[in-house]
Amino acid sequence: MRFACKTLVLVNALACAGLVQAADIKIGIAEALTGGAAQYGVAISNGFQLAAEEINAKGGINGNKITLVIEDEQGKKEESINVFKKLIFQDKVLMIFGPTLSNSMFAAGPVANAAKTVVFGTSVTANGITDVGPYVFRNSVMESDVLPVTVATATKHYQLKKVAVIYGNDDAFTKSGYDVFKKVLEEQKLPVTTTETYVKGDVDFKAQLTKIKGSNPDAVVCSCLAEEAANIMLQARGLGIKAPFIGGNGFNSPKLFEISKLAGEGTFVGSPWSNTNPAPANQAFVAAYQKKYKAEPNQFAAQAYDALNVAAAALKDIKLSGDIVADREALKNALPKATISGATGPFKFRPAKTRSGQPGGWDADQKPFIYLVKGGKFTLYSSK
Amino acid sequence: MEWFNDFWSTYSTLVFSVGVHALLALSIWLTLSCGLLSLANAAFMGIGAYVSALLTLQLGWSFPAVLLAGGLAPALVALIIGAPVLRLSGVYLAMATLAFGEVVRITVLNLEITGGPEGLNGIPLLTEGWHIALILALTLYGLARLRRSKVGRAFEAIKEDEVAARLMGIDVDRYKLLAFVLGAVIAGVAGALNAHFTFFISPREYGFENAVDIITMAVLGGTANLIGPVLGASIITLLPELLRSLHDFRSFVNGAVLVLVVLFLPKGIWDPRRFRGWLQRVKGGRA
Repeated sequence: MRFACKTLVLVNALACAGLVQAADIKIGIAEALTGGAAQYGVAISNGFQLAAEEINAKGGINGNKITLVIEDEQGKKEESINVFKKLIFQDKVLMIFGPTLSNSMFAAGPVANAAKTVVFGTSVTANGITDVGPYVFRNSVMESDVLPVTVATATKHYQLKKVAVIYGNDDAFTKSGYDVFKKVLEEQKLPVTTTETYVKGDVDFKAQLTKIKGSNPDAVVCSCLAEEAANIMLQARGLGIKAPFIGGNGFNSPKLFEISKLAGEGTFVGSPWSNTNPAPANQAFVAAYQKKYKAEPNQFAAQAYDALNVAAAALKDIKLSGDIVADREALKNALPKATISGATGPFKFRPAKTRSGQPGGWDADQKPFIYLVKGGKFTLYSSK
Repeated sequence: MEWFNDFWSTYSTLVFSVGVHALLALSIWLTLSCGLLSLANAAFMGIGAYVSALLTLQLGWSFPAVLLAGGLAPALVALIIGAPVLRLSGVYLAMATLAFGEVVRITVLNLEITGGPEGLNGIPLLTEGWHIALILALTLYGLARLRRSKVGRAFEAIKEDEVAARLMGIDVDRYKLLAFVLGAVIAGVAGALNAHFTFFISPREYGFENAVDIITMAVLGGTANLIGPVLGASIITLLPELLRSLHDFRSFVNGAVLVLVVLFLPKGIWDPRRFRGWLQRVKGGRA
């Protein structure tokens, strides 16, 4: 009898464990895994998978395992909407991470917001993303948070009096970066000698650079993607421009300074993440990423990794009821309070300021890292 | 009914896209039916989308008025550029219309009101399923009537032999312009509908790639009659979604299907002449 009792208890315990086990937390990942934005999307998806594995290896969240439902949104707006709807209505995920591009977020974000499902962007930096609604979150640090610090640091370091500007005027990313630069330069009262533009795919920038050289700036501010930036720096040195560069988020590529070699010497770049940040959380992330993927992590992987950990921190505080509508709402309410110290440093949310004044989503409240390029490598800048 | 609700909430955008793409394929079918290889339809779609989105966002016009304006604006542009451009034919026309598309794209990129490369966001969701269904049905009915009318016969004659058509007393230039402008209207309305269910538009969506996509739909389906473009648009839109379970192989299989169709069915999937051929062979076999 006693034996039977014990067995019964054991069976009961097992059954309970089984129930807990069954309550997997389904999280949707919608990133561009093919197409032009795949270079970002794949790194992001890697970051999520690494974070999910680690969380599950540590026993999950309050005993619940995370399952990722990963879908390819190809970096296209219609595709993003389709993927979002599939994840929300068919897979019934608790929340969605993604999409990769700001354009896709403008299209798919409203779908998630209308369905009262949290959507969390890790790489969407455009202005107005969090205007979409209160269910929209992002930990992508906006240019408007990074560039003022970059410019101020460079101004102090080089004693800048006047700068020239060059940017790509047909790309959403470089154009919005330029808009921010323009505002920052006005605010910091740094006169602009000349503003030059180019279009995506250009390889010859000598005409623009000759004009820049003629205006004799102390530094060249460049809102460019890595592809064009390498050519711009090399050709500038070829023309005898000695002024250092100040770059936006597009400069955030170690490859860029490998290609441009010494031409990029002395460039100032701001970034939400630093490879060399000695914080233990970051070093652990870098080591784990290298081990799993046999590749160097980048900013996008780091932000994705942190994003899932932020969500996990919020999920710890809520009791999942199994009713998807209630759980999604609970997550939306818990997420703004979540804070972590992750690969990108200490992180918390701040309410977005919307254009209309209505309550919007949540932006990242984070300090950027400022790099100075020395010997073709990023080195963390300290003002001393 | 619950099953339908589930299906609709997941796939409504996809169904909308099928309808809009069918309209686009029909718009290029119309110019093709007059023997014009025009690649301007993506640009006309863009004009329709931008005009309608701006009217909704800035002036708050009602949706029917917005749709009308979305059709009329590209028609006006088509009317203006039609006269010089339609003097060209064949590949030269394709190149000229392609250049026009680039002009539109770069104009939109550099205007302040269109939001430049960042596009327009926050466009309200106004398009409903029945709007698209109704407009598609009206377009199909209109085009079917047009084919059987004097105008349709004139288009056919011009397509087969322009000189002969001119000798028969057909005012070739005017009919070509008519086909060009009507095509622009349909593409513009499609653009307006699309802008009001995708929340966001940007210049990149109306470039060369999309011009090619549109013509692919028409050619894949077959241009012999109206069923072809609608079928082609449906396949091009639905195929990537149906292949979703293939994950990494999706783009590959999608491309392979298109290549195979073009290789083995050069006249498109819906080819009445081939169907008649099959029918005769079956009858012949029995006899």
